[in-house]
Amino acid sequence: MELLKKPMRARELIAMIFMLIGIKGGDTTPSLFADEAQNALWIAPIVSFVVILPPFITLMYLLKKYQTRNLAELLHHLLGTKLGTIIGIFLFVGAFISMAADMRNIVEEINYLYFPNSPTIIIYLIFIVICLFVANKGLESIGSLAWAVLPVIVLTIISVMFVDFQATVWQRIFPILGGGASIVIRDGFSLSSVFLEFFLLTIAYQAFHDTKQFRIGMYTGSILSVLLIVLFYMIYTMVFDYNTVDNIAYLYQESTEIVPLGHFFTNISTFFMVGWLLSNFLRFTIFLYIICWLYGALFQIKRFEGLLMPISFLAMILSMIPPNFITNEMIVRKTSFHWISPIYLCFPFLLLAASLWRERRKL
Amino acid sequence: MKKIIVILFLIFLPALLGGCFDQKELEEQAFVVSIGVDKTDTRGVFRFSFQIANPEVGSSATGTSTKEPAQAVISVLGSDFLTATNAANATVAKEITLNQARVVIISEKLARSKEFIHLMQSAPSTVDLKLNAQLVVSKENAETFIRNNKPRLESRPHKYYQYMLDRAKETGIIPDAPLVRFFQITEGDADLFIAPYATTIRDDETEIGEEDHYKAGEIPVKGESQTQFMGSAVFREGQMISTLTGEENRFCLMFDSTLAQKDILISFNDPLMKEYQVAGRLDINNVKVKVDYKKEKQTTINVFVDFNINIHAIPSTVDYIQSLEKQRILKNSIEKQIKNRGERFINKTQEKFKAEPFYWSLHIRHKFLDIKQYEKADWMNKIYPNAQVRLHFNLEGLEFGKMLRETDIEEVRD
Amino acid sequence: MFPWQKQKTAAVQKRKERKISRNLKSNVAYIEEQFSYGINFDFVSQEIVSPASRYHLFFYSTTIDTQQLSDHIISPLLEAKKDIPISRILTVPSLASIESMNGAEKGLTAGSVIIFKEGSPEAFEANIQDFKHRSIEKADNERTVKGPKDSLTESLTTNISMIRKKMPSKDLIAESIEVGVRPADPVTLVYVRDLVNNDVLENIKKRIQSITVDNIRNVEVLEQFLEERPRSLFPTMLYTERPDNAANYVSEGFIAIMMDNSSSCLIAPITIWGFFHSPEDIYLRWAFGNFSRLIRAVAYLITLFVSATYVAITNYHVQLVPIDLLLAVASSRERVPLPITYEVLLMELAFELIREAGVRIPSPLGPTIGIVGALILGQAAVEANIVSPIVVILVALSGLSSFTAANYSINHTLRISRFIFILAASLMGALSLLGAIIIWLAYAVSLNSFGVPYFSPATPHTKSSDDTYFRKLLKNIKWRPVFLKPKDVDKK
Repeated sequence: MELLKKPMRARELIAMIFMLIGIKGGDTTPSLFADEAQNALWIAPIVSFVVILPPFITLMYLLKKYQTRNLAELLHHLLGTKLGTIIGIFLFVGAFISMAADMRNIVEEINYLYFPNSPTIIIYLIFIVICLFVANKGLESIGSLAWAVLPVIVLTIISVMFVDFQATVWQRIFPILGGGASIVIRDGFSLSSVFLEFFLLTIAYQAFHDTKQFRIGMYTGSILSVLLIVLFYMIYTMVFDYNTVDNIAYLYQESTEIVPLGHFFTNISTFFMVGWLLSNFLRFTIFLYIICWLYGALFQIKRFEGLLMPISFLAMILSMIPPNFITNEMIVRKTSFHWISPIYLCFPFLLLAASLWRERRKL
Repeated sequence: MKKIIVILFLIFLPALLGGCFDQKELEEQAFVVSIGVDKTDTRGVFRFSFQIANPEVGSSATGTSTKEPAQAVISVLGSDFLTATNAANATVAKEITLNQARVVIISEKLARSKEFIHLMQSAPSTVDLKLNAQLVVSKENAETFIRNNKPRLESRPHKYYQYMLDRAKETGIIPDAPLVRFFQITEGDADLFIAPYATTIRDDETEIGEEDHYKAGEIPVKGESQTQFMGSAVFREGQMISTLTGEENRFCLMFDSTLAQKDILISFNDPLMKEYQVAGRLDINNVKVKVDYKKEKQTTINVFVDFNINIHAIPSTVDYIQSLEKQRILKNSIEKQIKNRGERFINKTQEKFKAEPFYWSLHIRHKFLDIKQYEKADWMNKIYPNAQVRLHFNLEGLEFGKMLRETDIEEVRD
Repeated sequence: MFPWQKQKTAAVQKRKERKISRNLKSNVAYIEEQFSYGINFDFVSQEIVSPASRYHLFFYSTTIDTQQLSDHIISPLLEAKKDIPISRILTVPSLASIESMNGAEKGLTAGSVIIFKEGSPEAFEANIQDFKHRSIEKADNERTVKGPKDSLTESLTTNISMIRKKMPSKDLIAESIEVGVRPADPVTLVYVRDLVNNDVLENIKKRIQSITVDNIRNVEVLEQFLEERPRSLFPTMLYTERPDNAANYVSEGFIAIMMDNSSSCLIAPITIWGFFHSPEDIYLRWAFGNFSRLIRAVAYLITLFVSATYVAITNYHVQLVPIDLLLAVASSRERVPLPITYEVLLMELAFELIREAGVRIPSPLGPTIGIVGALILGQAAVEANIVSPIVVILVALSGLSSFTAANYSINHTLRISRFIFILAASLMGALSLLGAIIIWLAYAVSLNSFGVPYFSPATPHTKSSDDTYFRKLLKNIKWRPVFLKPKDVDKK
């Protein structure tokens, strides 16, 4: 028996977006930006966000206009079943690769920093099993869980910022453009698919109390997440200098490691692992769930929860192919972003064109 | 359901019995509190000394105390921190963990060699070694330093380093030098890095001079503890080039806006009775560095230091407290004296080091748009050595502690 | 339906349909046979002959008020001069006419006096029952310092009367439905007519009616039949012995389920916050109430995680511990033979033993348990180097904290979960511990109690008093919990 139908509201969505995207402030993404942009690594995400804003708003506009259930239905509706499915598959593959690469990074990070003697595969298995368990509970539970865990995460973020601020030197943010304006803009463009989850989340367009709640949650959540990311990247720049920031892979942990809290707490970095791990469990739970949902919606599979297991294990096996973390981060992840970004940047405009063409034909 | 429980239990049980890959029982580990590194004759091989704390000493308030020593020092050869740790395990039954090490001691000999930077490159990738550990340069071999170090008042060796470094830092005679700062400054390649300078061997030949003009080993102290932390070692591009005295180190702290400004004890010549000195506590309120960068011409650096002084000893018994006129004289004199000393030191950095240890490169950065331009301008080699540095000291407040007037000694003698 | 069941139900059906005959003798014979007259020492079959007519009385001497029987039934009957209907002779307050033998039997088992009259096809049931029960006592299991002290007792009528006293309103309904067949026991649902959500009410009724078991004697058993997930670690109904607590919930739109023979009642639906709140939180002033909530929240966290965290940190994440503490712990472990995980599990188990023994032990022996527990298990174990003192401290702390739980059911949840977390922590340190926590939380969040999400109103969010971790000032509480969908939301 259910007393409340579709009880999720904007706050659950905000929490989910926060977990899904805001947490990129704490993974290996900053080192991807810092590779060339150096101490301007905090400007690049702003550029990326500005770049994805027009296609994203277009997509939201189309969803509102056609009142379809979700992204897959919109694709089918505007482009026809065949073309829509093909574009959908492109989106799916892009998201899938990005998830696999991200997951490998996180697992390597856990492995390297906290369990250096364990085989990666064991940690990977534990990680995936946990995500699967949670994902199986369904979207509403995930949303509620995200909201329930949010206080812990926010507390962690605030304390990390507090700790890191003691080690910051604000002048390190200069020279303001870091590696150079052209590099920052190029990076911002080519890595804009760091935010591809925004597009994917539209699969849940009708899953919330009403679509207005979805829109509110989506915009607030994305702005908050981008703010968080930018703030974190700024802190990394100010804690490390431009020459060090692009050498360090795990900026989040290293930045907390260098600051002692008084005499008693000298190594506090593991303490911040709590919020970090919780949010990463949730991040990949959500990611996995929406990817399976997209796949299910594309091929009209109603009970797509059954896909969670095969898709997650496929992602695991694929992501174990790169021989080490550096290859995965700097080659696989970076190249895949270069290829995925154009797809995600263009498809909303393709949809818009199809929509305009349809209207014209009607007249 | 029953089956699931049984299966789950069976999965758990071996895991519980064996523990997992990274599981280490607490008592199986030996905690290193300090690491010493020395140069050997072979290139690329160093002598590592690990000081290991014995948890059984000084832990329990009641019960039997053990006769084991509080610490053990082990020296092994190795090419980097990790291999040395493994080698040390050949003699220690417990597994050696570095993650509690708070101090890394480098011998002066090693620091002055070119190999030092290669050794340091291996530090960040050693998971165990935390980047907030302090770097200390010892005058003698690091091994000797660690072995000579016998704290009298602290039963735990780590406490000793902690207190010792903190006290010295508070008085401003040594700088704060975590490993990460070494990397930031060395990789930034624009400034000099300074690390605390210490020794356990006393240099008997020095005489009593002005109290801060010592380096480690020169302080005439009598007592059982041999260790002295005083002054700092100067690193240029990852190689030690010189040392600074305690007083010079204070100027470094004063001019560097990234280091915590602690109050400093300092003494000056009494302007009215030259043979006496005035001592006080100096609080720095505000430091501003303004760099006037001109691309082709000489750059001017203006440094504004606002400070307070709390005078607590006037041995000459001149009545500064009640006479405003005399206070004005004292104020001017202090500003002048401190400026002279500062300028002397700045000259030394410009001429001898050809670079500054104040992290001033930060203040020129905002003049550039991107890193390429900034690096091309070359703060370390081109701008600073030729720049004109102007120091502006401003004594904002003069206080005399809790005394209302000086005792008239003449009257006492009566 | 199986053949033997068919036979049984057919026989029951036949007996139910039997009417009362005009012949007094046959009625008497039938009842005496049904109630094993002569074997049952307290079953009384008494004939009364008055000048006007012959009457026959049946009752259990142990369940009625003999004073009322002689004053209001026997004397009037004996004195009846004319043959007038029984209803005009007797002076008892509650008198009902019955026509079937089934009704007569029910009346007898419920403790009434049944009166047959010669030549009349109806009997009368005089309700002068006097079942023995405890008097109203102080609430023992849910103690408060401030607030009413009375607790429910094993009599339904007394309990309902306590609730009615607290909520004098014509909208307060105490509806009775039956559960079980052998015999059927009444279950009373107490709710406020113009607040309760009909879907929830119907759902509960339907579930009670669909229980197929011969009998359910009290709410403790009923609870397990009603729950959606009986194996779950989390209770989905609140079990309380305080009438004031029950009345508070009922006035918010919740439903209280009561039965005779239970000195407690069930509140449904309930959210996880209900288990966290104590009725005293409202009686205390805002700051004091919230302070005690804060303490309780900390205690819950300590109970759940302190031992597990210790296991995870000392086994896997030594670098987190400040070195002074680390050396202290390491030195205390120096002579302990067991690995940390076993050490903690051993002590936790010992604590559970003390707890279990403490509940079962006869009260004269009670003080021994403290001596045995504290001295033998704590002090001696440490002195014998079986466990380290730190573990004793941690286990005692987590055990103590588990008793700050505002509700007995959640106390079990906390204690069992603690063992899950300790095992998880020993598997892979913080990774598996946090994994277990998040799965545990995901499970808790996915639960619902009669259609109400377990974590509402926090998530999914609805308008409500926002009474979750902390409570507001009472005058600022504007809404009834909307997650219940009550008929009237506004509290003003």
